[in-house]
Amino acid sequence: MIRETRVMLEFAEDEAQKTLAGYRKHGGYQALAKALREMKPEDVTEEVLKSGLRGRGGAGFPTGKKWKFVPKTNKRKYIAVNADESEPGTCKDRQIMENDPHQLIEGTLLAAYAIGAGTAYIYVRGEYPHSIRALEDALDEAREAGLVGGDIMGSGFHCDVWVHPGAGAYICGEETALLTSLEGNRGYPRLRPPFPAVEGLWKSPTVVNNVETLACVTHILRRGASWFSSLGCEGSTGTRLFCISGHVKKPGVYELECGKFTLRELLTDLAGGTPSGRPIKGVLPGGSSMPVFAASDLDVRFDLDSISKAGSSLGSGAIMVFDESVSAVDVALNISEFYSHESCGQCTPCREGSDWVRLMLDAVRRREATRKDVGLLLDVLDRIEGNTICALAEAFCWPVRSFVKKFGDEFEAYLKERASA
Amino acid sequence: MADFSPELLAKVKDLWKRYPEKKAALLPAMHLIQKERGGWFSPETIRDTAELFQVSDIHVQGIVGFYDMFHDEPVGRHVVRLCKTLSCKLRGSDELRAHVKKTYGVDHGQTTPDGAFTFRCFECLGHCTTAPMMLVDEERHENLTVEKLDRVLGGLR
Repeated sequence: MIRETRVMLEFAEDEAQKTLAGYRKHGGYQALAKALREMKPEDVTEEVLKSGLRGRGGAGFPTGKKWKFVPKTNKRKYIAVNADESEPGTCKDRQIMENDPHQLIEGTLLAAYAIGAGTAYIYVRGEYPHSIRALEDALDEAREAGLVGGDIMGSGFHCDVWVHPGAGAYICGEETALLTSLEGNRGYPRLRPPFPAVEGLWKSPTVVNNVETLACVTHILRRGASWFSSLGCEGSTGTRLFCISGHVKKPGVYELECGKFTLRELLTDLAGGTPSGRPIKGVLPGGSSMPVFAASDLDVRFDLDSISKAGSSLGSGAIMVFDESVSAVDVALNISEFYSHESCGQCTPCREGSDWVRLMLDAVRRREATRKDVGLLLDVLDRIEGNTICALAEAFCWPVRSFVKKFGDEFEAYLKERASA
Repeated sequence: MADFSPELLAKVKDLWKRYPEKKAALLPAMHLIQKERGGWFSPETIRDTAELFQVSDIHVQGIVGFYDMFHDEPVGRHVVRLCKTLSCKLRGSDELRAHVKKTYGVDHGQTTPDGAFTFRCFECLGHCTTAPMMLVDEERHENLTVEKLDRVLGGLR
């Protein structure tokens, strides 16, 4: 039996945890107090580096390493918390913000102390009014108690933290688009380099971290890097939140240690298999931007590196499951509709390409496409990938290509040649 | 200065203090402005917002056009956003959309004749494990069924 290891969600069901008093009862803000009194900023970074923590937004970049990219200058520095949770299938950061918001605020302050930032913005997607309210309330309490703002806990360290609501655009979860949006513009991604850690908000060094990543930072500083790295497995240390949705009996957000079971065990044991009892047809293991697994691929060990080696990615921790009753072509079309709607329009290959891909998949679904058209679809994908500023292009090219590859027989059955035969 | 309410102006001035540049407060401020101006950005509201922020009209218009939560057309008294992305689709959002069309006579982007609500099919709203779901203004309704949806939409005035 797979069991959850609850660290970030340990008190998620406790209503009092949302309040400062409730959070403090369970050790809240002790890590911050310890850091401000006993540790130098670089010690905080070292601890996070030692823990093996990798970013939980999708790319899995080592957090401590990201912080180390911040140059030692006298320029203003910023933290931008990426709470624009919009990858299809993902609803985990919301659990932290709504149920235990202070652990995010504490992690944000620790990150700010580590890199020397005096202001942090929490960019929450506009479609999350509940998260916005929970964070605003928590910040009001923290500010009142002298935990946010000037001279925090009498240490001389100053950091403001503000909630900044987005207004409905998937692209703003891309870190440079988030910064452009936060400055009051359409959310267009920027070319890298320079990376945000060197030139971010208003051309100042800015660290962009995901909500869950910063919640982990709180627990790492509270209980130590070696405790954190003793959880999970090499390459996937600590616990991680996974959202299991679609055709499973027990959809939900689960906090798990990676490396202890296979993807199939996770879906059958913890999530209870499909409600219909029909076999699983496919699984997107890391949001809709990642290649799909067919039923025969599910015996892979469940951790970052093993899933990558098997040809996909854990991405944002969103596992979407569909059973045999669903057409793989329909799923691919639904995914392509998302990206053609969400392409920001800045780069031609993505703006035009995402629409072409959607239209071509729709033609397949209407049984109007020929084998040549499917070949053309794959050719178009080749010309989009790698030719844009950000990874949104890859985010639809990878899954679409994987659907054609993994479910080739099904695509074949939709072809016009077949329909008229 | 455009005739925004003193309460709104006070809130916007408060927002400005949070950023090194006024312009950065546009998104949070525009949520407040849209609410005060009947739920959408008319050409006049766009001009007023631009004037308040000392940016060009086209900059504000560009933002309205870019972000799905800002509207450039009049909306009903409520805005209903039904999630249409994969997890919700797998759990029946297509059927809910068809039911809304049949029962209330509106599809994506349309407003009921009595002006009670504007219906929009939205991309992933981040409630995938309690799918299908919809947002009605700022309230969420999860694990939707046709009956549940009817109770909520039938009660909108």
